[in-house]
Amino acid sequence: MSLKQTVTTPLLKENPLTRNVLGVCAALAITNSLTSSLIMSVAMTTVLVISNATVSLIRHHLPSSVRLIVQITIIASAVTVIDQFLTAYLPAAASTLSVYISLIVTNCIVLGRAETCAMNTGVGRSVLDALGNGLGYSAILIIVSTIRELFGNGSLMGVKILELARDGGWFQPNEMLMLAPSAFFIIGFIVWGIRSWKPEQREQPEFKPLVAPREVEGQ
Amino acid sequence: MDKDAPAKAIIVVALVAVVCSSLVSAAVVLLRPIQLNNQLLERSRNIMQLTGLVEPGQALDDANMLALFKSLDIRIVDIDKGEFDDSLDPHTFDQRRAAGDPNYRVSVPAAQDLAKLGTRSRFAAIYLVWKDGQLRRIILPIRGAGMWSMLYGYLALEADFNTVAAASFYEQTETPGLGDQITRPDWLAKWRGRKVYDDLGDPVFAVGPGRIAPDSPAAEHRVDALTGATITGDAVTSLVYYWLGPHGFKPLLNRLREQPPTQAATAATGDS
Repeated sequence: MSLKQTVTTPLLKENPLTRNVLGVCAALAITNSLTSSLIMSVAMTTVLVISNATVSLIRHHLPSSVRLIVQITIIASAVTVIDQFLTAYLPAAASTLSVYISLIVTNCIVLGRAETCAMNTGVGRSVLDALGNGLGYSAILIIVSTIRELFGNGSLMGVKILELARDGGWFQPNEMLMLAPSAFFIIGFIVWGIRSWKPEQREQPEFKPLVAPREVEGQ
Repeated sequence: MDKDAPAKAIIVVALVAVVCSSLVSAAVVLLRPIQLNNQLLERSRNIMQLTGLVEPGQALDDANMLALFKSLDIRIVDIDKGEFDDSLDPHTFDQRRAAGDPNYRVSVPAAQDLAKLGTRSRFAAIYLVWKDGQLRRIILPIRGAGMWSMLYGYLALEADFNTVAAASFYEQTETPGLGDQITRPDWLAKWRGRKVYDDLGDPVFAVGPGRIAPDSPAAEHRVDALTGATITGDAVTSLVYYWLGPHGFKPLLNRLREQPPTQAATAATGDS
C-alpha cells in the first residue's frame, strides 16, 4: 500500500466508524453540537497519532505478555495531557465535553490501531495510519453533528441559522435530534448508504440458517 | 536480552510508567494556575450575572468584570445563628474547604440532609447587592448531590427575601445533554419571579412535575421539569429546600426581614 493510500483508505473504504463500527459511544454522545464534534475530532486524532507513534517506536522492545497494558498506559497519558490542555485553554468547551474527552481512552479505535498497525509497522507509516483513521472518524462526527445541530436546534457552532418556532421563527426543530438515539439512526443510515454504494463493504453472515432440518442418526 | 523475558517485561513497564507519569504530572502542575484562573473568572462572571448590575447581553472584559466583582458587598454568615460574622475575612474565606475542615464543619442531621451533604461549613460567604443605597438582591451559595456529582450554584433573591431574581449552577458533571440542562440559561430564566416560601414561611420551590402552565397556581412556586433529567431535577428541588430551610439560610433571612441590613461603609455603592 502506498503512503498516500495509508491515509486515504481509512477515510471511506476502511472507515473505523462506518466499516468497523468502532467508537460509536462517543459518536452518539457528543454529536449534538458541531463545536463539540470538532474539538472531539482534533483530540481524537491527536491521541491516535501520539499513541501510534509511541507504540511503533518501542514495538521491538514490547514483550507481548504486557503489550496491552503498556499501550493503554500510553493512550491514557496522552488523553490526560490533552484533557488538561483543554480545561486550561478552552474551559467552556471542556465543560461541555466533560467526561467524553477522558473516555477517548476506552475508544476501541485507538487501541485497535495501536495493536493492529503500530505494533507491526514503522513510525512514519503508523503516524499516517493514525492520521487517516482520525480524519475518517472526524468526517463522520462532523456529518452527524451538522445534521443534528442544524435540524435539532436550528444552529451551527452555536450560530443561529434557522429561526426557531419557539423564538417566533418558522422552523419547528426535531427535538429528538438533540438526544443520543438520533445519532444511532443517522449513523445507521450512513452505514446503509455506504454499503449500498460499495457492496464489497457488506459483511458475510457469520452463521447460515439451516435450510432444512438435519436428519438425526438413529431414527 | 530476550524480548519476552520476565525481567525485560518489568523493565519496560517500569520505564513506560515513569515516563508517562512524569509527562502527566508536568502537564497538571504547569497548567494548574491557568485552570484555577479560569475557574475564578468563570465564578465571578457567574456571580456578576446574578447581581443584575450587568445587563445579560452586555459585553464585559475580564478586567472590568473583576473590578465590579471586587466592589460587591460580601459578608460571612454564621448559618446556624443566622447572623453576620465579622471574625472571618470574606475575601479569603473558602467555603468549600471549610466544609471539610474539622474547625469549621458541622454535620447535617440525616433527617435534614435532603441535599445529601453529610457535612457543611458553619459559615457561608453571601453577597449583598446594593444600588442607589437600596438593597436589591441577596446571593446565597447552594449545593447538593445530583445524580453523579455535587451541584454548586447560587440563588439570588430579591430584597423581599422570597422572590427569585436569578439562579445559576457553576459546577456540575451531570449527564451531558440530560442532567446538565440545569445550566441552560433559558431554563434558569424561568426561575425568575418564583416565590420560594409559602404563606407559612416554609420553603416550597420545586422543579416540575412536568411542564408548569404559566397561569396555574403552581406557577407561583414551580418551574418546568427538564426532559430526561428527573433525578437531577429532584436533586435541585431538594437542595433548594435544604438551603432555604431551618438548617440552611432561613434563620438569616428571617433575621434580615426584621432587621434590614445596612450598607457597609467600605463597600462600593454599585451604582457605577
